[in-house]
Amino acid sequence: MMATALIVIVQTLLIVALAPLWNGIVGAIKARLQMRHGLPLTQRYRDLIKLAGKETVLTEDASPLARVAPYLILGAVLAVCTWTPVLTTESGLGFAGDLVMTVALLAAVRVLLALLALECGTTFGGMAASRHLALSALAEPALMLAVFTLAIAARSTDLARISAAVAATPDAWVSPSHLLALTAMWIVVVSETGRVPVDNPVTHLELTMIHEGLVLDVSGHHLALLEWAAAIRQMILLTLVANLFLPWGIAVVATPAALALALAAWLGKLLVFAVVVALTESLTAKMRLFRVPEFLGMAFLLALLALSSDSLLRG
Amino acid sequence: MVLAALDQALLDGAVWGLAAAMLLPALAALFPGLPGGLRHAVPRVLAAFACLCAAALGAMQLAGSGGAMLAWWPGIPGEPFTLSPDALAAPFLVLFGLVGVVSFAAHASGGSGAGAQVRLSLHAGFALSLLCVFATRHALLFLVAWEGMTLLSAALVASDLRSARARTATYVYLALSHAGAACIAYAIVSLAAQAGSFGFDALTAAYTRLGTAEAARLGWLFTIGFGVKLGLVPMHVWLPMAHPEAPGPVSAMLSGVMVKAGLYGMLRFVWQMPGAPPEHWGTALLVVGIATALTGALYAAVESDAKRLLAYSTIKHGGVLAMAVGLAALLAAAGQREIAGVALVAALYHAVGHGLAKALAFLSVAEATHAAGSRNLEALGGLARRMPATAFAALVSTLTLCALPPFSCFAGEWLIFQALILGYSAGAGQLRLLAPFAGAALALASALAVAALVKLYGIGFLGRPHTEPAARSHEAEPAVARAMLAFALLPVGWGLAAPWLATTLARPLAQLLPGFDAEQLARHSGLAMVPAGLQSSSISPAAAALLLGMFALVARLWLRGARGGMPEVRVGPSWACGTRLDARMQYSALGFTKPLRLIFEPVLHAERELEVLEQGSPYFARKYRYRSGLPAVFEQMLYQPFVQAVLWTSEQARRLQTGSLHLYLAYLLVTLVALLLWAR
Repeated sequence: MMATALIVIVQTLLIVALAPLWNGIVGAIKARLQMRHGLPLTQRYRDLIKLAGKETVLTEDASPLARVAPYLILGAVLAVCTWTPVLTTESGLGFAGDLVMTVALLAAVRVLLALLALECGTTFGGMAASRHLALSALAEPALMLAVFTLAIAARSTDLARISAAVAATPDAWVSPSHLLALTAMWIVVVSETGRVPVDNPVTHLELTMIHEGLVLDVSGHHLALLEWAAAIRQMILLTLVANLFLPWGIAVVATPAALALALAAWLGKLLVFAVVVALTESLTAKMRLFRVPEFLGMAFLLALLALSSDSLLRG
Repeated sequence: MVLAALDQALLDGAVWGLAAAMLLPALAALFPGLPGGLRHAVPRVLAAFACLCAAALGAMQLAGSGGAMLAWWPGIPGEPFTLSPDALAAPFLVLFGLVGVVSFAAHASGGSGAGAQVRLSLHAGFALSLLCVFATRHALLFLVAWEGMTLLSAALVASDLRSARARTATYVYLALSHAGAACIAYAIVSLAAQAGSFGFDALTAAYTRLGTAEAARLGWLFTIGFGVKLGLVPMHVWLPMAHPEAPGPVSAMLSGVMVKAGLYGMLRFVWQMPGAPPEHWGTALLVVGIATALTGALYAAVESDAKRLLAYSTIKHGGVLAMAVGLAALLAAAGQREIAGVALVAALYHAVGHGLAKALAFLSVAEATHAAGSRNLEALGGLARRMPATAFAALVSTLTLCALPPFSCFAGEWLIFQALILGYSAGAGQLRLLAPFAGAALALASALAVAALVKLYGIGFLGRPHTEPAARSHEAEPAVARAMLAFALLPVGWGLAAPWLATTLARPLAQLLPGFDAEQLARHSGLAMVPAGLQSSSISPAAAALLLGMFALVARLWLRGARGGMPEVRVGPSWACGTRLDARMQYSALGFTKPLRLIFEPVLHAERELEVLEQGSPYFARKYRYRSGLPAVFEQMLYQPFVQAVLWTSEQARRLQTGSLHLYLAYLLVTLVALLLWAR
């Protein structure tokens, strides 16, 4: 009991603590690729702490929702953290949430963010909310379907069980359905975390921005909450790719040695993802906004294809 | 013994209370000397009390006690008219009762004129016929109540006959409802002719004596008839017309409860019949459900009329219910009773969960649109600060209808996803093909519904008021506001208690699915729910809500600790890049979902027209006219040709009757000769 609780706390803390660092690493790799020195890795933490101590200015048009929404958003992503399998497939809070609950809570974050953006009565918030919802309307079903391909094999939507089921059949990942689902999932992660080619995380006040636009009117400690929540959300999605689709190294039984190995494997996978993202961001340009639906539609179709091919191949 | 007496008293209270509430305003009109309270306040309280009785009756039925019965002889041969709700009706009675209470409590008390009295009387009559639909055990009374429900609600939809829109809505509603009712009546009467009685048990027995083809034919007739009420594509066109026209409390009942009567009818008359439902019925319902859910969600996303948007959202959820029932039928036909039970529980749970949320949504949005003087989202805005209680109710219903945890719609969709995944693995042939599409459709429809409802609340209630009336709007009457705030607890509670409720609602399934064990839908530590047949997926809305709240508190404490004391929140004007902020700078409802309209252009065929009225300079026009709209695809493709054929036929028939006396005499002669020849 104690051990289970400890594992839940450690897993949650790992995601929460390392979330800003991952962004820092991607930034550092990109800087290197562009022959710059770049910011120190700790800069993201310093930003958050600085913002956390600052006053928030709310617009006079804001409803009471604007005062609570940032807390609810952070609360929702942290709740998802507790049942995301990071190190082990023995999950203590798996009874509380599964894949559908995870997707729905992330959707709740999206809804609250969009409402928060509309509080101000300015153009940028509405624009970002509109685009964000339209793109997510395509990305979310693709995410659901991609993970369903695994859930069907595992006969469960429990995240830890899916991870364990995929880990138990090491050569299943070469199947076409798994690879298709993985591709779809990666596209969704790129879109949902606001990365190139869907969105550019370093732009401000550009007419094409989506994710930055949502929080444009938020300031001070509310912004700190939202920035951290966004980083954690990104970390959750990356961890889902790492531990559901490529669960090598995850501890099936939570012994100290296995956990240490799992930690190393998880960190290694995240580093690889950081390199892939940094390379993509350096080598490709952002798409035109109305090309993005085609890109996401592709993810949706790939995921549907993954599900159907699974049904065909397994007879 | 005591319980049985209580049960009986509740049924009596519900029926007589509503009957009195219906008749009192009429009596008050006949005797002008009666005190004024009898006209409005007393009937309202009586009706709300009667609905509370109905809810309690349903709850007691679910808890296992039952057997209340009211019977009277209508003066026709055969069995007496009986009202005796059984376990299948219980969830619907609970929904009816709860929505009824708030619907009467929120009835505009301001109206003391004759119009308000008539509306109240009609409203009570509508509620009474709904109660009879759910509670009766006599098919003829069912038909009468079904018709009463349609006619009385049509009268309420038509309450403002000066508007052409309301007239069209009433006409389309009546026409389609009667086409559906004709199907149901034909099927019931032909069954009753077989059975020699109108009792439900006799009808069921008669069903077994029918041939397979005949039984299937009746099943389809029932499905079409009840599908009209449930708003299945392509019979859904009446819903976005009729539901928005009625006053808020009535719309709440129409969308929250009456639509679910379609589901009840399908379960009662198709599913409960012996031998039914066949596999192809399940397939058809699943496919139609998918189409309905997607259509409803997509049209809701691009709709700018607040109440029509909600009506489209009702269509989406009707489609989800049809998907659940179709899925259950496919699984039951494949012998997977446990998983079929999960899908059926999903349907029952979602029917009530959605009904509560939709009733709240219609009530609050009706208050808001009434206060701001327009149903168009472009003319609202900024209402959250001007009517906080109404906006809070609207926010709760919005989040619920988005199927977000821990609110009530989420757990229902979760159960459907579970049934899909388990059913796919269990591997019935049809289902293997359909399940991926059903899952994709459900996820896509949910995501589109999110966009629609964020638009409703975000554009309609947040930001700055778009118009002068919206800026002057003020809070609803205190009684109405209190009723809405209290009712807002229900979708939340229904969601938090999902594990317990799902097990409770599963009990009547013993009637529908022999061999399904309600306790199989196990509860894990009393908090989480786990679908039957599989002990490995579970959710706990309450635990998730608890975690969320706890972490939100932790975040608050962290901020307090960061610099020793909470950083301040200051209020100031919005920054508009140095220009003066104007309400027109905000996103409009049309613009908000424009990306979706462009993405789904191949399906929607949106029309837009941009006309330059005044060309000021070669580069910038001074004045534009912009018009955009969505063609009514279903009306044009399906109903228009039919209407035109009818008109053409009647046009031809009119030639026979020209008013010429000679011609009429010639008709007589021809008829006489023809008769003589025929009789020879």
